[in-house]
Amino acid sequence: MPPVSMKKVDIISALCVIPVCIYVFYESGRWPILPDLGNPAWIPRGVAVVLLGAALLLLGKALKGRSLTLPGRIGGVDRTRVLWVAALTGAYVFGIERLGFMTATAPYLFGFSLALGERRWVRLAVFAIVVPVATYLLFDTALNVPLPRGLFR
Amino acid sequence: MVDPSLLLHGFGTVLSGYNLIALVLGSFFGIIIGAIPGLTATMGIAILVPFTFGMTPITGIVMLLGIYTGAIYGGGIASILIKTPGTPAAAATVFDGYPMAQQGLAGKAIGIATISSGIGGTFTALCLAFFAPILAKFALRFSAPEYFALATFGLSVTITLSGRSPVKGVISGLLGLLLAMVGLDPMGGFQRFTFGFAELTGGLSFVPMLIGLFALSEGFRQVEIILTAPRVSAVLKNILPTLTDLKKCLPAFLRACPIGLIVGITPAIGADTAAFLSYAETKRASKEPESFGKGNPAGVAAAQCGENASTGGDVLPMITLGIPGDAATAVLMGALTIHNLQPGPMLFQGHPEVVHQIFAGMISANVVFVILGLIFARFFAQVINVDRKFLIPLIFITCMVGSYAINNVLYDLATCAIFGFLGYLMIRYDFPVAPMVLAQILGGMMESNYRRAVVMFQGNVSMFLTRPIAMTILALAAFTTYVAVKRQREALKLEAAQLAALEESSSQ
Repeated sequence: MPPVSMKKVDIISALCVIPVCIYVFYESGRWPILPDLGNPAWIPRGVAVVLLGAALLLLGKALKGRSLTLPGRIGGVDRTRVLWVAALTGAYVFGIERLGFMTATAPYLFGFSLALGERRWVRLAVFAIVVPVATYLLFDTALNVPLPRGLFR
Repeated sequence: MVDPSLLLHGFGTVLSGYNLIALVLGSFFGIIIGAIPGLTATMGIAILVPFTFGMTPITGIVMLLGIYTGAIYGGGIASILIKTPGTPAAAATVFDGYPMAQQGLAGKAIGIATISSGIGGTFTALCLAFFAPILAKFALRFSAPEYFALATFGLSVTITLSGRSPVKGVISGLLGLLLAMVGLDPMGGFQRFTFGFAELTGGLSFVPMLIGLFALSEGFRQVEIILTAPRVSAVLKNILPTLTDLKKCLPAFLRACPIGLIVGITPAIGADTAAFLSYAETKRASKEPESFGKGNPAGVAAAQCGENASTGGDVLPMITLGIPGDAATAVLMGALTIHNLQPGPMLFQGHPEVVHQIFAGMISANVVFVILGLIFARFFAQVINVDRKFLIPLIFITCMVGSYAINNVLYDLATCAIFGFLGYLMIRYDFPVAPMVLAQILGGMMESNYRRAVVMFQGNVSMFLTRPIAMTILALAAFTTYVAVKRQREALKLEAAQLAALEESSSQ
């Protein structure tokens, strides 16, 4: 794979950081200044100023075409796989308390391994059942860490 | 100075009952994590921190020390057998380890790697036990201005030395500093950057963030590349090295031990640099440098010994000053904090028995991984063949259940997932992750001590000039940052020139 310039990424990153710096100034302006304790906004504002400088430097370098390169571009199947796993993980976080640990984890693991290209169905099914049960026994029973019961509450 | 009776008592505690079991299990899992390419020592500690919650502090810490030292050693196994370093630190072991395996000497190479790692690790752990109390005693003279300077030093060095781009390192570190400010103001007690969420009042959950940034992010990276490491086919025999083999490696040990220790103590550079420097120095001083890279056992010994000799050096500033030198010790420090043990000189005053148990644990961990490495070498070699399509989901589940287990709240799970994906994007686009985490740890220390110093000096910041130790540390921070940035620019120029030459030669 040919090296790819990070120009676009650097521009987007810098543009994301700049509003953060502005927000720090806005919010720190509302903090109370307590007598004898110094101004609480000094350090956050100092950090925000340096951060703004670094973001502008990154932006400037990117616009001048002096961004560093990546070994290769992520795309196609690889990108789909990462996005699929990220979406699956998001759904798992959202659903675990409602569905319960076992009910949420089994389909999550099944879908995850499927996304990675596993097609041996029996192994997949055994994996998706054994891991949640073993994890539940380890945490809930052995380590006394209660896991969400969800539907089985 | 180290207290011999407390150290003996520490050995008694560490090597008895549950503590010994935890140490052996930690070392065993550590070696497995290290042996699997793509999984790092930092990731191993981050994943297994939640498992230590139900344990007593010393049992948990001993287990984590076992994982740390075991994983650093385990990285060499894959380097020797499949020419793919198990951890980034084990890259130098490839040079002579893999040629030895090709010559049918894989067993011997693993044996030498194991013994060398044990020698380096034990040396550095003994140095830690000797030097840490001295440094901690000196640090007792420090007050708020010195701690502010120390945190600034740790942060500036880490930020500038991490990654290929100093600007991106600075952005990552400063964002980490801002994240450290989320929650209550350390002096005034009012809310900052909480956006009205009650969960954020106590600040961001540190351990879920740590697991997300160091472990889950690597998991996402593995999803992207699904590393297909070659299968191990080498037959391991004659694993135990002979005395003659070890005698030949003696010069390598003598050079690698001090190099590893010094590199370890230096903030922001760790086991990988120690291994490369030890290898290069041993090769340079050898009477037959041309044999290096072709299967010279001294090459394996130097790399592994130097790599493991950095572990004690890494732990030294963390335990004595509360300044983690690298990502792995940052996670270890987080784990100590969870067990209500705040690293720093006061730990030596308040809990000397725990400190000596940690020393004993560190020394014992290096002996334990040698024993396990020699007995189970064939098993660890087979671990490399594990199927990624099942391993990666398992890592994800362990990370997320571990994060949830801390407080049994969904918020921690979400924190882990969000920072996991953020960490992946950062790794993907060359923003170093370590400065963000280190800034989380050092940010609080820096801000609160600065504010305390301002109160101490009654608002007159120029009073910093009257504190020689603080000023020396701040000057050192400025100097190191300048040198680091200069060197990085030179390295980048060299990289660009090499790339241009490569393009030119390919176009001809």
